[in-house]
Amino acid sequence: MSNILEISGIEKKYPGVVANRDVSLIVREGTIHAIIGENGAGKSTLMKTLYGLIRPDAGTIKVFGDEVTLKSPQDAIALGIGMVHQHFKLADNATVLENVILGSEPSRFGFIIKYDEAREKLLEIAKTYQLDIDPDERLSNLGVGERQRVEIAKVLYRGAKILILDEPTAVLVPQEVSELFANLRELVKKGLTVLFISHKLDEVLSISDEITVMRQGTTVASLTPAGTTKKMLAELMVGGELPKPIAGHQVVSEKSFLSLKGASYTRHDGREILHNLDLEVHGGEIVGLAGVEGNGQSELIELVMGLLQANVGSVEVLGLDASNTLTRDIRNAGVAYIPQDRQRDGVLMFAPLWENRILGHQFASPMAKGIWVDKHAAIEDSNRVVEEFDVRTPGVNVLVSALSGGNQQKFIVGRELSGDPKLIIAAQPTRGVDVGAQAIIWDHLMRARSRGAAILLISADLEELFSLSDRLAVIYSGSIVSILDPAKTTPEDLGLAMTGANN
Amino acid sequence: MSTDTKTPSSLKSRAKSLASSPTRIAILIAGVLIILSFVEKVTGSTDISSPGTSGATLRFAIPLLMAGLGGLWAERAGVINIGLEGMMIVGTWTGAWFGFKHGPLVGFIAAAVFGLLSGLFHAILTVKIGIDQAVSGLAINLIAAGGARYLSGIFFPPVGGDRTVSPPVASFPTFTLPGVSPFLEKIDGKNIFFISNVAGMLNGFTKEMSLVTLLFLFMVPLTSWILWRSKFGLRMRFSGENPMAAESLGINVYRIRYVAVSVSGMLASLGGAYLALVASSVYREGQTAGRGFIGLATVIFGNWKPGGVFAGSMLFGFTDALRVRENKSVMALILVAGIVAAFLAIYFAFKKKWKPAIYAFVVAALALLLNKTVEVIPQEFVTVFPNFATLIVLTFLAQRLTPPAAAGAPYRRGSE
Repeated sequence: MSNILEISGIEKKYPGVVANRDVSLIVREGTIHAIIGENGAGKSTLMKTLYGLIRPDAGTIKVFGDEVTLKSPQDAIALGIGMVHQHFKLADNATVLENVILGSEPSRFGFIIKYDEAREKLLEIAKTYQLDIDPDERLSNLGVGERQRVEIAKVLYRGAKILILDEPTAVLVPQEVSELFANLRELVKKGLTVLFISHKLDEVLSISDEITVMRQGTTVASLTPAGTTKKMLAELMVGGELPKPIAGHQVVSEKSFLSLKGASYTRHDGREILHNLDLEVHGGEIVGLAGVEGNGQSELIELVMGLLQANVGSVEVLGLDASNTLTRDIRNAGVAYIPQDRQRDGVLMFAPLWENRILGHQFASPMAKGIWVDKHAAIEDSNRVVEEFDVRTPGVNVLVSALSGGNQQKFIVGRELSGDPKLIIAAQPTRGVDVGAQAIIWDHLMRARSRGAAILLISADLEELFSLSDRLAVIYSGSIVSILDPAKTTPEDLGLAMTGANN
Repeated sequence: MSTDTKTPSSLKSRAKSLASSPTRIAILIAGVLIILSFVEKVTGSTDISSPGTSGATLRFAIPLLMAGLGGLWAERAGVINIGLEGMMIVGTWTGAWFGFKHGPLVGFIAAAVFGLLSGLFHAILTVKIGIDQAVSGLAINLIAAGGARYLSGIFFPPVGGDRTVSPPVASFPTFTLPGVSPFLEKIDGKNIFFISNVAGMLNGFTKEMSLVTLLFLFMVPLTSWILWRSKFGLRMRFSGENPMAAESLGINVYRIRYVAVSVSGMLASLGGAYLALVASSVYREGQTAGRGFIGLATVIFGNWKPGGVFAGSMLFGFTDALRVRENKSVMALILVAGIVAAFLAIYFAFKKKWKPAIYAFVVAALALLLNKTVEVIPQEFVTVFPNFATLIVLTFLAQRLTPPAAAGAPYRRGSE
């Protein structure tokens, strides 16, 4: 097999940061090549360089043996390099076909789109690579897995020979992941090459033919999955030993800190989102809420936080009736909330860290002094959070927007765990953070459990659910359909329960 | 549970069939027309379906249509254009001045050029510099209103105008559709139930029609065709839905927005010129009277679709036309609305949808009560009706409206 892609000595500097330095990578034709590394290890920069979104300061890129300069995505596309973005770049208010052909529409007189021709070509591609898509379906009707297939079809439609997939499994449930992997194997079988970026080590070991590890902006190792273990990969990524989560002692209290009984919630458009939902979380335990996104998790959280009111049933939070209590009082009673969409609900992007530290604690000591907020206490405590949670930042006066996503998340978790909350609602607490940060966050959650806090963990990451949870509650179509013991459940069983296969 | 998961798709398909089935709409329109004919027969007021009313409706609707299409072009590309009103003022002024100097045709061309420039100005401010779209639009409205007043004071008095009014402009030639219009007039005269009423309305649309009117009406299918058939249209829609997606596929979102917003300005300005050159024959200060904003409302009313914008501007134009015609016809119209609402109430009751049935019933009862007790409807009520109608549409259809997802959001090239 020949080398389809050869990269050597790539360097990219930004003011004050070196994003890539001395990056070398060799990808052989017809293989699945995984690139792993922590957040901020330079994976994204490298991929953007390959896709022509970023121009490197130094180094060479060879495609099919010829040295090339990539000035824009068009150059990359012309060379047969296609990118499947992590955050889908699709428009809901358009059809699959329109999303696919955008930018490379076959046309008459360069103006009128030949839709029939385009549809035929897309169906041909779908058939060749066994991608299950309907050209005329509207995007708004599609689920995550289907959207990803549209993204892949988009790249194939442009005749890509090398596909770059940026953390493609981050948003998928196990069944969808295996479907994706089947699709990827099909692509490779037909002679295409796949570059697969991830930090899920299990997946990397199971799907890839070769693995390249990146750390601190450079490539540190290239290996094959045979004879490689997760531990080896993790240590290569972090550059040392991983911090180990302490199991700690566990005392589950009799009292339930959170209790939903027959809770139902109907949205204003008449759709019942939650139906007769029962859930209990006791002090000293972590209950993992597993489910495919959009099965009522967000609404459940908002019921607990007093942001929504249940139509039927009761929601009791630390002895308070959440349907009848202000969110402020719920929080003051000792409820911490790590929101799933950190940039929308968790922080003020254009405010400094110390101001963000105050959010949600603005009425209680030590952040508040009478009717005033205490700036000095906030700065001091922000420094503590930065220290304890290893938030990489030049200081607490910088804007949150200047931090990487993983560091924002560490700061939010640190803020929420301040003041020893009794009940912690942790929604996707480690989404998009690297293994090092994940270990820190897990460690703190376990410590909170040890001191008797009740934790409701909502996560799409099965590994997280299995590692942390004492019990697994599976939510499907707005109801808890089963309660599982993580020690006696396999990921496949859980995946089936999550997709409602048991009903 | 299974019913739960099915709800959204069935809801969607229902909304789709309701909105997109042309036969249904045709049946609905025919039904309303039959009721209208009936009411006219009973009350003896034939003004609503008279050629005069329909002609006036079209005359009032065209400026709104052009402003609405202007709003549509901008928003489909992702830029909200609050400056439509100011761009219309640009059109009224330049249309009148150049029309006065060199004839109405040159007036229109000048309005198109200056409108294009005003749109380009909005594009530079919002797309290139990144100023908030509402602020930029507001600025254009203020600049246009102030600028028009200032220039009027300088240019108009020396040539026989006034500080606020231009000298009269030669009117644009009109034509009557040969064969069709006289034929319709004959049928209208025969007083056959329903058929004559419809003929009367159609006659109003075809009689003494300005070529400009026809050309502007043609902008509706043209815009549709561009949006859904052409390469530029597809790219324009994606610029408004997800500019990041468009850019990742090598589309120059900035350029598309420049073009679309410039066209937006041109359309709005032409709508303004129509006010000065076709609907009247003079520039008058305050002539646009908020029509740019109503145009924006028709965009929402029409769910960002050219046909919807057309329907919206006809509705607003119709109420505008009623304002200048007999008050008696307003009463007749209320009766029509009452009967339509009553039918709707029965329809919903049959479908066991009690909430809409009750609403419709209340509207019907109110309308009939109004018809029985009130002699003359205050003019203000008629004027405010379209705004009221938009409010109702927004309240009931808000769930089904599909505005361009990225309209109004600032967009920087290369952002994630």
